[in-house]
Amino acid sequence: MKLLSEALIFFKGLSDVTFRGGRVFYIWMSILTFFILTGALAYIYQLRAGLIITNMRDQVSWGFYVSNFTFLVGIAAAAVLLIIPAYLYSFKPIKRIVIYGELLAISAVITALLFIFVDFGRPERFWHAIPFIGTANFPYSILTWDMLVLNAYLGLNLLIVLYVGCNTYFGKEPDKHILMPLILISIPLAVAVHTVTAFVYNGLSARPFWNASILAPRFLASAFCSGPSLLIIIFHVLKRFIGFKIEDRAIGKLAEIAAYAMAINIFLMLSEVYKEYYSKTIHLISLKYLYEGLGSHKGFVLPIRISLLLNVLGLLLFLIPKTRRKTPTLIAGAVSMFIGIWLEKGMGLVVPGFIPSPLGEVYEYSPSVYEILIALGVFSTGAMLYTLSLRAAVSLETGKLRHPGAPPPVIEKEGLTAGDIMTKEVIAVLPETSVDEIAGLLINHRISGIPVVDNERRVLGIVSESDIIYREIHRDPEILERLGGIVLPAYRQTLKRGLTAGEIMTSPPVTAHVNTTLRELVELVVDKRIKRIIIVDKEGRLCGIVSRIDIVKAIERLHP
Amino acid sequence: MLTRREFIRNSLTILGSMSLGACLKQDIFKEKFMELSEEEKKRFLMRLEERYERRYGIKFSVKDTPPLEGVVFGYALDLSRCIGCRRCVYACVRENNQSRDIPIQWIRVLRIKKEHFAPSDFESAEHYYNPEKVPEDGYMYIPVQCQQCESPPCVKVCPTKATWKEPDGIVVIDYEWCIGCRCCMAACPYWARRFNWKEPYIPKEEINPDTHYYGNRPRMRGVVEKCTFCIQRTRNGRYPACVEACPTGARKFGNLLDPESEVRYILDNFKVFRLKAELNTEPRFFYFFSLG
Repeated sequence: MKLLSEALIFFKGLSDVTFRGGRVFYIWMSILTFFILTGALAYIYQLRAGLIITNMRDQVSWGFYVSNFTFLVGIAAAAVLLIIPAYLYSFKPIKRIVIYGELLAISAVITALLFIFVDFGRPERFWHAIPFIGTANFPYSILTWDMLVLNAYLGLNLLIVLYVGCNTYFGKEPDKHILMPLILISIPLAVAVHTVTAFVYNGLSARPFWNASILAPRFLASAFCSGPSLLIIIFHVLKRFIGFKIEDRAIGKLAEIAAYAMAINIFLMLSEVYKEYYSKTIHLISLKYLYEGLGSHKGFVLPIRISLLLNVLGLLLFLIPKTRRKTPTLIAGAVSMFIGIWLEKGMGLVVPGFIPSPLGEVYEYSPSVYEILIALGVFSTGAMLYTLSLRAAVSLETGKLRHPGAPPPVIEKEGLTAGDIMTKEVIAVLPETSVDEIAGLLINHRISGIPVVDNERRVLGIVSESDIIYREIHRDPEILERLGGIVLPAYRQTLKRGLTAGEIMTSPPVTAHVNTTLRELVELVVDKRIKRIIIVDKEGRLCGIVSRIDIVKAIERLHP
Repeated sequence: MLTRREFIRNSLTILGSMSLGACLKQDIFKEKFMELSEEEKKRFLMRLEERYERRYGIKFSVKDTPPLEGVVFGYALDLSRCIGCRRCVYACVRENNQSRDIPIQWIRVLRIKKEHFAPSDFESAEHYYNPEKVPEDGYMYIPVQCQQCESPPCVKVCPTKATWKEPDGIVVIDYEWCIGCRCCMAACPYWARRFNWKEPYIPKEEINPDTHYYGNRPRMRGVVEKCTFCIQRTRNGRYPACVEACPTGARKFGNLLDPESEVRYILDNFKVFRLKAELNTEPRFFYFFSLG
């Protein structure tokens, strides 16, 4: 009886925090409900009429559903991206968002499985594929493997999320000895779900377009682009609408991962294009259909070119620090990568595998209205699942959803910000200032570092004592400078004349915004092993400096 | 003490759930055909016959004739004699109860310029052509149907073991067990498999009531089908319909294990080849040129 009433309290609390919200929440949920209902109606029609209402035919026997399934498995593998840097390199800002990544993985796997389900000709017989209940073709059928791995991945992520969730609900810290092994298992499993999905296509010798060893690596690379991109978008939406707190550094890290992955993805793609076009065997034909079209059949040429453009654009926006740090360009990068990969790996991978057919027939495919409606319904189901689970998770984290008997959540004293504790009168120099002059400033003012700014006080770098000492020890020009000296004798002159601030400064320096909390400042100092943080305003202009001693003083103030 | 009303209500509930359970057992959670006892198989086949008789208004026979001992079927097709008339295609459609309105055809006869012929590459093959007269100068025709592979890629990928190779070499599908995932269609290098995108339609007067469980019995929407070497005929000592329909005798069929069979004679005396041999599927469907 006690258990029952406890459960009641929990579900009451859960429904309070998940189903009640502001106007934006209700509008969002209504839109999703609308698409889910239209999708359900379209699916009922498909059940009655058969898959004839799709545009798939014997020539192109997998289409929009299977494409989206493939794409979503990539998104599901995204959780691993957050886990690896968070735990293996103990990059703290990401640690907090791991749980949101895992929730995304759960919703994405469920959505992916739904896509497989709506693709079945006889969905009521799906249990035939389940081991022990049906007659699973284990170990030969890769689809069987895929279902097993996907369900294991789903189960494991559910376990992790529930474990962390329960502990938070009762106000306890999750036990690391239980949590860590689970998280460590989920890393190879995330790689496995995507690899096995690639193998479903990869193993088919009948389809040379898929039967290339590069397929699984490409799948992984592209998943590492689309997953983080989606998370970046989601986190910004949360930040905007529910005031979700997330550090820019964590998001920046996601963008960085996505940028590297996209570079690898494009490299792998070009390797494939080279191999097929240069050797020019009969296997070239599907690739040719994709990129150039076959005669009048050019259905994929425009989408794949758009996807190439979007991918390159996303790569550049994420790679250049300036565009990566600004929200509008960051979002633009994330959106273009997400759509780019969706076009490339979703549609552009599955359908051209069927064109031409093994007997040389070209049947051009694009999804029917019903396929689009059903797909929208499936996507909306996933989005709704994610929205609700996210709300529950956020409420758990903030203590809104908590067992009545649990100790109150530790409210972090976030009252103090960088703006409150920084030293405001800061001496700064221009890049042209000579090192001798800087040394004089450091000694006279008894400081250990000095920011370098441009004429508008935008921070360019920092010169510290160690920069000067380092230069003194390494008087010998470095290899590149030496080369420069050989090629351009004039360069030696500057060496002799003495260096300037611009030449020896550490750039870019570690900076923080005036609103950064004390806790985050502490983390920065510890993580980066630095002595001082330059505090800047929104435009990157110098406001002040927080040194270690400022932090110590602030802590002293909080805990007298 | 139960009141009468309660008694009736309870018994109705029990009856209802029992019949629902029976329905589920019979229609959704039924066992795979090959795992049934002989008695259960017989009953199931009888039920199928009744169902088809009701639908088509004609006496049906659905057999599950097992493979014959010491028989492995093989097919040989003489490309120098094929004239591209496609009588085999239509004979097959009639014999095997293939859907007519959205037509399903198990045999595809490719037309190709003689100089473009290659046993692995059909890029330049034509699928849809309608000449006044066949054969046409400069063209040859390549009929393709299920090649009944020794190591069939379609069987390997099936997640439910709904398709397999029988001891006589015929690759069959259990239409009751197929979930319609279409992995096998993606895996087949010969494009031999067809899907029932809708409920198949066969006019009552054209139905062939002499059927096999794994062969030409009427199929349902959402499952895959393909050539079975006319399992309903060949396991009873008859030729496949396509062999009988061919006006030029280009199609030869027989027992590969019988040294006296026609197929063996062709294998022994002609240079035969198989389509896409490099894929190691080892078809039991051979092609050859008897003339020129």
